Amino acid sequence: MSAARYGMVIDLDRCTGCGSCMVACASENNVPALPQATARTGLTPILVREVSNGKQGADHREAFFPIMCMHCEHDTPCVKVCPQQAVEVDKATGIVMQMPQRCLGCRYCMTACPYHARYYNWWDPSWPKGMEKSLNPGVAVRMRGVVEKCNLCHARLHSAMEKAAAAGKREIDQADYVPACVEACPTGAIHFGNLADANDPVTKESRSPESFRLLAKLGTEPKLYYKSKEAWVRAMAEPNTAPTSEAQHG
Amino acid sequence: MRFSRRDLLVWGAGAAAGLVVTPVPWKILDDTSKWSQNWPWIPQPARVPVEFKQSACTLCPNGCGLRVRMAAGWAVGVAGLSTHSVSRGALCPLGFGAHQLNWQPQRLRAVRHRGSASSWSEAQAAFAKARSEGPIVVIDGYPGRAASFVLQSFAEKQSGNYRVVQGAETRALKPYEEWTGIPAASLGYDLENTTTILSFGTPLLDGWGVPGRFTRLWSERAAGTSDPQLRLIQVESSFSRTASKAWQWIHIREGSDSALASGLARVLVEQNLVPAHGPIPAMSLAEAASQTGLTVQAIADMARMLIAKTPTLAIAPDNNPSIAALNVLLGSVGTRGGIVRRTQSQQAYASADEIPNARAILIDSSVPWDFAPQSDAEVFRFAAWDGGPTKVDWLLPAPGFLEELTDVPTAPTASVETYGIAPSLVKPVSEVQSAAQFVAGVDSSSSSPEKVIHTRCEELYRKRSGAIVSKDRTPVSQLASAQKLEEALQNGAVWMDEPASSVKLRCELKEWPTNGPQPGPGNWTSEWAAPVLPPLASKLYIESDLRESLHRGNA
Repeated sequence: MSAARYGMVIDLDRCTGCGSCMVACASENNVPALPQATARTGLTPILVREVSNGKQGADHREAFFPIMCMHCEHDTPCVKVCPQQAVEVDKATGIVMQMPQRCLGCRYCMTACPYHARYYNWWDPSWPKGMEKSLNPGVAVRMRGVVEKCNLCHARLHSAMEKAAAAGKREIDQADYVPACVEACPTGAIHFGNLADANDPVTKESRSPESFRLLAKLGTEPKLYYKSKEAWVRAMAEPNTAPTSEAQHG
Repeated sequence: MRFSRRDLLVWGAGAAAGLVVTPVPWKILDDTSKWSQNWPWIPQPARVPVEFKQSACTLCPNGCGLRVRMAAGWAVGVAGLSTHSVSRGALCPLGFGAHQLNWQPQRLRAVRHRGSASSWSEAQAAFAKARSEGPIVVIDGYPGRAASFVLQSFAEKQSGNYRVVQGAETRALKPYEEWTGIPAASLGYDLENTTTILSFGTPLLDGWGVPGRFTRLWSERAAGTSDPQLRLIQVESSFSRTASKAWQWIHIREGSDSALASGLARVLVEQNLVPAHGPIPAMSLAEAASQTGLTVQAIADMARMLIAKTPTLAIAPDNNPSIAALNVLLGSVGTRGGIVRRTQSQQAYASADEIPNARAILIDSSVPWDFAPQSDAEVFRFAAWDGGPTKVDWLLPAPGFLEELTDVPTAPTASVETYGIAPSLVKPVSEVQSAAQFVAGVDSSSSSPEKVIHTRCEELYRKRSGAIVSKDRTPVSQLASAQKLEEALQNGAVWMDEPASSVKLRCELKEWPTNGPQPGPGNWTSEWAAPVLPPLASKLYIESDLRESLHRGNA
């Protein structure tokens, strides 16, 4: 299998902030809904944040930023700080992988992540009686005491690879590997593809003048791009220079 | 070799020093931690093969197509069905967690009589007794289904009444029912062919209608474009999610929607912007401006905006005759891109707002939990989930999500007649009965939803109109039998009739309507029938600030 660089382009002009991606992600990855979890302590690998242009009245505008692991390619901050080698960038896919079995829960990576896209799992997973029958068999339950984040639905990649292997192929059919949030988006705002493939529509879209990456100046080369025709939304990429206010803190 | 005291001290000091640098204690700590993270009582997903089945969501009348991931006979994941011609692969956020609803702690698992435990046989005996003593009123919240047909037939056979609790989307079409004589259940919005939408606070991008219909349309024709093919103008007193994505947001005072509709009508008629289609409102433009908080010029500009790109369609969130009259004036009733009549005639249902005298009332599980009948009759209430305190006499556990075979009639806002089937995919988690099964237990001559679905499929096949749509579109006339048609529908296909624009609709408006009291703003989940939300909805409501409420404070 040739090396891929999986990434996304999220069209913010199409995101209505419905939250379907958040629920679909939690369902796919067996994230429990715990009554004690809050916006600060919950496990939400993709979290939609609301931002505004800071203006009043009829000029007021809002946009929604789905924030998740950006899968940084260069000097990946979480990889650099992990004392357990529990985080690594998969050379075959470009996905920043988190291995909970190695993680000791020190949370250095959470501090290092410039995007606040990592979550510490405070509690043992639990569900109301019988609800464990509704868990996704392809994914383990979320282990307490470790840091979690988006892994681009790695289990779906495994399934696609198994399917390809069963058919005697070395390459997966790209249609077989679609993360849950991409599948769930009702407006088709989240586009997923292989950035290593110059012909992939996502690669072309990522090079559009309207595309941008958050905190690009850090030089971590995130593989998650955003896109908007609105200048004030694009200015959010570097918050220190943006004339806007963030309405939500996860 | 002697082991001296000195050796003992050296060994002890070495051991102490070694203990500090050895990884063993840390390894033990780490392993203990890992061990405790994997207690045997922590649930683990079953390692079983996975298969995918297709169905439709029945938690609201929009009937979105579902691709259900199944393992060991249970639903373990839900996604939108991309080949579904109505929902086009989209679901509302609640739908993605709906497979966990059946295990909600509030799930009703046993019959209750006035708060105490009871049994199905006692409930059936009480219902049979009531039936012998007087008329029965049956209340339905999702008319048009096979189960509804069974309930309606039962009520009529008992010389009783069949009443319907209508959702806001159906109520919004009520004025047209009055003016055209066509039941609201036969009317819909031709969104696909309109170019300007004037929404009066309707949450078009936030739970209105079939989620995949307008959101996909907006995404394809409007999102992020300064001069979109589809202009969405949101008139709203607060900055909603739909307003944030609209081409224009017009901020008006709360409760002044009707005044704005009247003001716009005045401008349209007085400036000859539309051919006169009916009466003009008594309210002056200045008064409309005063009530809405807009200037006279702003209302005039807005009226010109409405006719700049036609067809234009005004959409109200609920029953608002003034907004409906604006559509009449704009010539948007019975025309392409406006309010259209679907091809098949549906029944006009009596509302459950007024309930005739009865010995007993039977409430179907599709009726919203907060519906309280104004009557002294004995109430038999079916529900899959307990929504909190209630005054009903009998609380009867109904099938939950994907636990029963049901059919999916046309969605309330659709412009094309559709029909689908949602097969039962999972076994009920407790002993449950639907209202239709219950009445069949009392009246053996009652039909069953299965038989009605079968008959409906035969009728569709006999009529030979429309097509079966899944990955491909197959005209019904090309199908070999009614059985093939039913099989296709059971496997996630949808029957679609011909487009509605060819059906004529005559609308007569004699005088400009006066509005009664307007209902308050509804929650975005107001069409959701279950009184509880899937546990994973906590991601939206608790574990993020994404959804505090629908109508947030003004910016």
